[in-house]
This record gives sequence, structure tokens and C-alpha cells, in this order.
Amino acid sequence: MNVEVGDDLPPWTMPSVDPARMKTMAAILRDPYSVHWDREANARLGLPGRVINQGPLNLGYIVNMLHAWAGAGSVRRLTVSFGRPVLDGECVTAGGRVDSIDEGEGERRAHCRIWLELDGEVVVSGTAVVAVSSASSSATIHS
Amino acid sequence: MTITETQMLDLVGHRFPGGHYRIEHWENWLLTDCTGAEQLPDGLVHPIALFHVPILGSRTSISELFELCGADGPGSVGLESYDWEYLRPLLEGIDYHVEGGISEVDRRTTDDGQVYDAVAFTIELLEGDTVVARVTNRWRFRRAQA
Repeated sequence: MNVEVGDDLPPWTMPSVDPARMKTMAAILRDPYSVHWDREANARLGLPGRVINQGPLNLGYIVNMLHAWAGAGSVRRLTVSFGRPVLDGECVTAGGRVDSIDEGEGERRAHCRIWLELDGEVVVSGTAVVAVSSASSSATIHS
Repeated sequence: MTITETQMLDLVGHRFPGGHYRIEHWENWLLTDCTGAEQLPDGLVHPIALFHVPILGSRTSISELFELCGADGPGSVGLESYDWEYLRPLLEGIDYHVEGGISEVDRRTTDDGQVYDAVAFTIELLEGDTVVARVTNRWRFRRAQA
């Protein structure tokens, strides 16, 4: 796998955030917070007819983008902060860029900026450390 | 304001009971499906399991954390940040030991006068004596004005 500083990571898009998946997610998380599944309760919060996606799912789209690029099991660290909530039916796209590459724990690691965009607005942003190959292989490094 | 700054600061150092968590295949399958991804190979657990596994494995819950931090109801809690480290990929069927607690509380006021508490909890997953993952999550608890 050739990886260079400045590479853009191939984007990953969730075309429409699915409220049914939020319900399953709420059950897995044992999350009683009704903003993820109760449209009527949300009407009282100024979100009539809408439900709010779980933060871990928003991060999950970024992870899917990293897996598609570097393979499952490659993520070593995720540090992110959250902006405005993502609602059901919205389209979000995960992206990233390689900021640096080093070696650690016997492997080459890409340090990446990562984000999740909604209509051009970044709603999740942060950094990821991703294993891009073993240290003995020949990833291209430019710094 | 339903909970004072002193009461919140007293939460720093609070330890969850601790316990064990085994991520079953069905659970990982559903979790991965929720993200819209194809299933992962070789029993690999989707990395976003580092949200609920630390919470439930340490024998707390989202409900208990809301109660402990005096959440004011729906819409009063928000996410601030996650810092998740994977020292080994997580796998289905492994009995992870889980321990942690509340590591930081900071009462803040936004530019428009909204008061909230940023609460961080730090939890580790261990396989035997080896730490395999560590999370620090920060949540915002917005406070109603008196």
C-alpha cells in the first residue's frame, strides 16, 4: 500500500441516515435517550418529525472510510469532537487526509485528519492513527 | 440549576464497579450493520464498540451516568469528544475485563451565557493483565438557568 503525506483518503458516503438503524443502535447501547427514536418527544425540542443520530454512528461512518482505505483492524486511535447533530434522512460523507507517517509497534502508521461533512459543514472532526503496513514492508514515505 | 458545581466536582474519582464484557457475534453483526458497513472478517469487532462496551462492561449505563451527572432531561446532554485507543483490535468472544471512572469535570459558560458541565470518564479494557483499549469520552450536561 503506497501512502504519502498529503494523500486524500477516499470518501465514504452514507446517503441517508436511517432511523430504523438508530432504533437498533439504541437497543445495543441500552440508550434510553429518546432523541434517537421518539419523534413526538423531539417535537418539544424543536425537531418536529426528526430523530438525532447517535454520535458513535457518526464516528462509525468515518471508521468505515478508514477501513475501506487501509483495511479492517487498521485503526489504532481516534480522537474526535462533535459539532451539530445529524438527523435522520440526511446525507453525510466521511473524509480524511494523511498529515504524517511514522513507525511504531512494528508497523507504519499514518496520522490522518478526519472529518464528517453534511452539506459542506463539518459535523465531526479530529484525528486518526491508522496502520498502513508492517514496518518491514515498503510504504512510500514523504515528509 | 439542579446540581451545584461542588457536587459535580465531587464526582471526579468516582469509580464504576467494574466487570467483564464479551462481545457476541450477533451483537457485533448488528452494530456493524447499523453503520452501513459490510461485516468485518475474522471475528473483528467494529471499532465503534468502544462506545458501549466500556460503559456496560464497567457496570454502569447511560441512564446511570445521566442520573449521576444530574441530566436535566431530553436535549440537555450532548457529546463533546472521544479519545479512543486500540492497543489491539477487539475480537468477538473474548472476555474483556473493564474498569474505569469519572476522570474530569469542568463547569463552563458559553459566550451566550449557557452553563454546562463537561464530564470526562476514562475506562480501560484488559485481556488478562494487558490493556487492549482505552477510552476517554467527554459529554456536556447543559444546565437550566435559575
